[in-house]
Amino acid sequence: MQTLSVLAALCSEPAAWRHGYGIANDTGLKSGSLYPILIRLADRGLVEARWEEEQPAGRPRRHLYRLTPDGLARAKAALAEQALLPHRRPTVAGRRGAAPEGA
Amino acid sequence: MHRFTGALAGLLERSAGLLPAARREWAEAVLAEAGEVPAGAGRVAWLCGGLWLVAREAVMGRAMRVLAFAAGAAGLAWIGWPGVSSNSATPLNRVYVTGTVVLLAVLPWVVRRYFGPVRRGWAPRAARVGGYVMVLALIAAKAVKDRDGSKLGAYFVIVPGEWVLEIVLLLVIAGCLAGLLILTSQRIRLTRPGLPVGIGAGAVTAGALYALAPLGIGFILFFPLDPESSLGSLWGLVSLALPLATGFLVARLAARDTRPGVLAPARKGCLAASCATATAALLLAVLTSVTIALFPHHVPLQNPPPPSGGGCETCDPNNTVIPPGLRHEYWAELSVGQAGSTAYAALLIAPFLGAGLGALGARLASKSPGTRGRGGGGPHAASPPALSQPLAGWASDTDREQVIGVLKAAFVLGGLTKDELDARAGLALTAPTRADLAALTTDLHHHPRPG
Repeated sequence: MQTLSVLAALCSEPAAWRHGYGIANDTGLKSGSLYPILIRLADRGLVEARWEEEQPAGRPRRHLYRLTPDGLARAKAALAEQALLPHRRPTVAGRRGAAPEGA
Repeated sequence: MHRFTGALAGLLERSAGLLPAARREWAEAVLAEAGEVPAGAGRVAWLCGGLWLVAREAVMGRAMRVLAFAAGAAGLAWIGWPGVSSNSATPLNRVYVTGTVVLLAVLPWVVRRYFGPVRRGWAPRAARVGGYVMVLALIAAKAVKDRDGSKLGAYFVIVPGEWVLEIVLLLVIAGCLAGLLILTSQRIRLTRPGLPVGIGAGAVTAGALYALAPLGIGFILFFPLDPESSLGSLWGLVSLALPLATGFLVARLAARDTRPGVLAPARKGCLAASCATATAALLLAVLTSVTIALFPHHVPLQNPPPPSGGGCETCDPNNTVIPPGLRHEYWAELSVGQAGSTAYAALLIAPFLGAGLGALGARLASKSPGTRGRGGGGPHAASPPALSQPLAGWASDTDREQVIGVLKAAFVLGGLTKDELDARAGLALTAPTRADLAALTTDLHHHPRPG
């Protein structure tokens, strides 16, 4: 269900570009779990990524992410479906619908 | 701490270069964010996550797998290929090395074509890597052992019959590998405990049998209850009891798995036990061969056959006279060459033995109190699996593909005819909802087992 929490974090402000550490803070995920999820989402065209354009002072440029229109629609559907499900262990169908994980 | 963090960051920066260009920026992204993370344990954990990401992406990438395979093949050739021309095992070893490398390279393509790519998760991948390592180790050790056992090549002529046996053994190994690849592919839905339990039981069996006889056992296997040899009886008992238990256990576990499209418990028990015996035989063959290859002088000397039936005391079984100076060497080499052949013979019959014993175990499991219903599909018949699935919502293409995969698997295992498969796959492609899809697989468990 980690993918869902990433989608939820990106969904909260769909227009804003978010950076990895911010999403990690929102979701409580470690970098080793978060980035593979972002990679899969980007591979499937649900998330777009870019580097910060201007070089900020005192720190390296950040890699930024936001949902694509398709990603936003899929994320909303997945989160809505998740909310509808009774609270029990995650189901295969729920996970599949929500989380395009794996290659 | 500061220095350690710096070293980790440097390591991450360098290791990012291992990734293909499209993946490299993700490792760089982790590095760029590291400055945001509070210094100390948090930043160390963040950077370690980045290293994990690199490792994960590098291993999953095709380049790394191809490199690892090439290294394994080169290692096998390095160990197995050399040999003087007077050694009768040399041509045999070369055929083995070539055949194995070709099989290992080609089989995944073939299996992928019919059963889909490797299943998600670390267990199927680990099982595949383990299987490949075992086969490479087996062929390498066997080559060394055969070379040690045929130095007096003139006395160990390889007759056509032996060539046939050796080719059969190579085909059996190919069969085991194909089975492994199929069981770990996406379109076979073995229940979650099935594969680990099968492989685990196989490893335990192999360990027990190896502990009983590290240098292999004579041809006692075929008379497992020989009253004169307690070792042989124990060996036979272990090799029969563990697959039986595996089939029983997996069928019991599988009876609780009510997802649609998963194989029926009896079949899973049968498959898992077959997987257990094949693993056990392969692992045992590896362990025995490596032990013999490393310690050829510890192999007990075979006794020369008694001089009956016209033979002579100084002759080999083919009535060739062995010069007096070579007699000890001759028997030592013959013993090394023939040691371990029981393990290879076991490899030949193990999957079938396992399938039979597993089916028996699964049958016992379905009759024992604690599972409801009768026969292989009993528990499923008692509680329709469809009800345990969330069926709300529209079907996605992923759902459709998955159902088609399940249907194909059912067809392969005899649960569906070709016409039924075609008809249902057509319906699956046009099914609008999840409920429509689920209806296509709910009855698969009720199909009678073939035969």
